[in-house]
Amino acid sequence: MVTLEKIAHLAEECRFDTMGPTGGVNAEKLSTLGEGTRHDVCASTFSPREIPLPGICHAFTQDGRCVSLFKTLYTNHCTHQCSYCTNAANCSRKVRAFSYTPEELANITLSLYRSNYIEGLFLSSGAGRDEDTVMEKMVETARLLRQKHAFSGYIHLKVLPGSTRAHIQEAMALADRVSINLEAASASHMSEICATKNYESDILQRQRYIRDLTTKNVLPAGQTTQLVVGAAGESDEEIFKRVLYEYKEIGVRRAYYSAFSPQRGTPFENREGQPLWREHRLYQMDWLFRVYHFQPGEISHAFNENGFLSNADPKMAIAREFMDGPVDPNTAPFRQLLRVPGIGPRSAQRIVAFRKRQPIAARAELAAMGVRIKRAAPFLKINGWRDTTLEMWQA
Amino acid sequence: MKVPENFLYDLSLHRDCNERLLARAGQLKAGEVEVSLHPEVARIKKMVYAVMGEVHRMKAFVRLQPLGTRVLYGFFKPRNRIGENICDHFSRRNAGIIIVLGNGSESWISLCREGRIWRDHGGGMTETLERLKSALHCSEDSANVECLWQVYYDSQYCPERKNLAAFRRQMPRRDQEAAGLRLVQNKRNATLEDFLGEG
Repeated sequence: MVTLEKIAHLAEECRFDTMGPTGGVNAEKLSTLGEGTRHDVCASTFSPREIPLPGICHAFTQDGRCVSLFKTLYTNHCTHQCSYCTNAANCSRKVRAFSYTPEELANITLSLYRSNYIEGLFLSSGAGRDEDTVMEKMVETARLLRQKHAFSGYIHLKVLPGSTRAHIQEAMALADRVSINLEAASASHMSEICATKNYESDILQRQRYIRDLTTKNVLPAGQTTQLVVGAAGESDEEIFKRVLYEYKEIGVRRAYYSAFSPQRGTPFENREGQPLWREHRLYQMDWLFRVYHFQPGEISHAFNENGFLSNADPKMAIAREFMDGPVDPNTAPFRQLLRVPGIGPRSAQRIVAFRKRQPIAARAELAAMGVRIKRAAPFLKINGWRDTTLEMWQA
Repeated sequence: MKVPENFLYDLSLHRDCNERLLARAGQLKAGEVEVSLHPEVARIKKMVYAVMGEVHRMKAFVRLQPLGTRVLYGFFKPRNRIGENICDHFSRRNAGIIIVLGNGSESWISLCREGRIWRDHGGGMTETLERLKSALHCSEDSANVECLWQVYYDSQYCPERKNLAAFRRQMPRRDQEAAGLRLVQNKRNATLEDFLGEG
């Protein structure tokens, strides 16, 4: 311990930058450009740029979603004609057009970061008059933060469709993560929801640029993408096949899903909104592939004949299809344990560690290890003893 | 959650931790604590998780206000002995700036400079801030970051996704109060039902 006065003296001598100005921000602009990113998702603020730390959620909105980043558009002016988007040129409900300047945006980000409201910046944008100018400004914002203000927080930059390879490279050098939204599962679905974007050249080609420019020291949190679920009538299977391609061929770190919800004034205003559970079930499928390492052939059994998922846990559907008999947690290999509904990677690891010391003798022991017994019981037998079947459980 | 290798440190920060429990825990490995069903070890695990959870939430929920250009301060009333830990976290994040966290009865002060952390532990936060004001000849900053945040926070809410149960699960009132959060709910979109359902 030192005295408070000595700490004050040391701080005065400090050569680090002091806090920047925060005043003069237009509340309407802040709100409008913030609203423009409400449906964009970035669940991670993890960056191995410094000490690896788990992501932190600084607040949650009443919809239960985490607010950990200052998520905003650079401008809401856009020349594209995406039929689901309120900022699109073909939206009849006109809102006032706003733009930030790089300095303004950097100052707001710094103020919120220093006061511990956010972990970093998530910067997206409308296309403005042309993508290149807007992309340049977005990169400039990131440059100001990193180089002028020595900002070490998280930065996620959206790559605008049609951006040049040079701009993408600059963005990648400054950001922790970049992403370009696929929005649709295929070129034909894209042409239905947006006539002004070319799926192959504006989006897929830019993703390949990112993939090719990614090296070990660049872009620590990788590239991601996002899809609108159900805007163009695509099936879950079509979406999932596209996502598998993205993981295998493009090397995206994560795919995000956003259930289509009709917005006032857009050409899709009268289309039916998609239930949120559809988005949730797609996330579960995604999880089975990425975290549980299920094979695509196994996972595909969760789709019905029309290629849609039902509102039920896909892992349960797959277990019923593939598991021939109950699994003994005392002898089953890790991979087999993972296939039991109610057992996740962490609880499977605990089971393996526990049984090295002593055999598992009761369901209560499994429950204490994090297994969700009600779901898992029909698929388990403990020391040859089984007390629940799926049929009994359903009854 | 996984029990960390240095779980003894987390355990030592728990308000009910004593030497006997620390000695008992010292004989255990992290992996054992994680899977053991022995009542005493289960209690140790519960205490470690309680500290880890509070540390995580306080790192997220405590808000800092500027006092001049050299000080950031925030209200903070932890249940466990994590004051110094949290204060150090913010000082590393804001190198060169004095961090003061505290409440009516105690305060923690921390400054990270050239990789080294300088600390103090004082009485009530008001008294500590007064002493700093006179030492640094500074005054309260007029910039109101909280207003800026409230406008932005309101803009992020999707009414069609309303899920108050998830909101309350993720932001327990107890933790909001410990971090002195005034933002309890989204103000612009709150309904009478939301307030009535809060209790």
